Amino acid sequence: MKKVIKMISCEQFELLGLDMDRPDARPQEVAAAAEHAASCAQCFALLESWRELKQDLRLLHEDSRFESAPARLEMRLKQELRTRREARVPRSAVTVVTWGLAAAAVLVAGLGWNHWRGASLNKGTNRAVTASNNSQSATTGPDRAMLLAADSDSGAFTRLPASMPSAYENQEILQVRMQRGALGRFGLPVAQDRAAEWVQVDFLIGEDGVPQAVRLHDDSQLESTLQ
Amino acid sequence: MKILDEKEPALLKRAVRGDEQAFLVLYRKHQATLYRYALRMTGSPWAAEEVVQEVFLLLIREPQKFQPDRGELGAFLFGVTRNRVMKHLERRPREDSLDEINANGNAWKEPQDPLTPMMIAEKSERIEQVRDAVLELPAEFREAVVLCELEEMSYEEAARACGCPVGTIRSRLHRGRALLLAKLELLRDAPRRASAGAK
Repeated sequence: MKKVIKMISCEQFELLGLDMDRPDARPQEVAAAAEHAASCAQCFALLESWRELKQDLRLLHEDSRFESAPARLEMRLKQELRTRREARVPRSAVTVVTWGLAAAAVLVAGLGWNHWRGASLNKGTNRAVTASNNSQSATTGPDRAMLLAADSDSGAFTRLPASMPSAYENQEILQVRMQRGALGRFGLPVAQDRAAEWVQVDFLIGEDGVPQAVRLHDDSQLESTLQ
Repeated sequence: MKILDEKEPALLKRAVRGDEQAFLVLYRKHQATLYRYALRMTGSPWAAEEVVQEVFLLLIREPQKFQPDRGELGAFLFGVTRNRVMKHLERRPREDSLDEINANGNAWKEPQDPLTPMMIAEKSERIEQVRDAVLELPAEFREAVVLCELEEMSYEEAARACGCPVGTIRSRLHRGRALLLAKLELLRDAPRRASAGAK
């Protein structure tokens, strides 16, 4: 049976004919183009020209088929990769240091909390002891300090001149608002230019009703205030 | 498992973490194709090198731009290369002359084949003429010629690479071929079609 070949025009040949040598060309189109080229001198010449050009293109392809980027490019990219890797190391070190510092801060805070709690418990115990006994003298060194702590006084008492250490069990704190100059009556030196200032004063009163020690209630130290 | 057997996304992950070997496997696999395409499109070894460098720097710096579910790494790299080449061509249509290309010395090497000096010179001249003619084509037609004739891609492959229908590629190739023929016939002073038509 004779194979029927579809005839094509010169315009169609220009589209299909130059694909004749391509491996992915359709067999029917190749046959039709070959048939047309055999009967049309102009299209045959076109096909010849194209085949010559195709040969030149193949030469160009062969000439440059092993072209590749120069080795220096690979070196540059490797360097970029290394730079980025090295840049990442300090970042991770910073992360480690940050976490380390945070952990240390938490640890210190925990220890501080424990310490503070321990001190609070001691205070409670001392207060209980003081409340039950209330017998220690405020003028006897460490015992005095303990008493002041039990009374939640942050400042220290200063013994008044000529007062005697008391061995009495019951002592009281007397809170007084007075002019600073009045402290001079208890034998304390007072700066004249500040004598008119009103200050809050605590007196530690012995069992005999005589003030034995004094402290100012403001933040300033008694010594500096009195000067 | 050998590094060469690993899939490209896995290699890329390793490369981004700083694994030089993984990066080199990827680079060596793709660089030549990309470089040749860039070289044939720009006609400048310098520009081709710059384009390939930009493509791989992008891969190192912004690897997240490659999404394996969208396609192969090769296709992604080719797409990036193509964009860079087109930008280059828009920026400076063609500044590098063939003399510059030859002066660079790292492109268009003389083929080593057993021909007489006369034949070698003639062949070399033909290659230069074709190369010049290809480089003078408008970018779209040049790309079709480069992919379908020089890189020997099928129409489907070329269409995928350019992100356009097969018909568009065929049409561009047709126009590109016609322009090439016209240029070369003018250059060689051999208007065969006319003479054949007069027969």
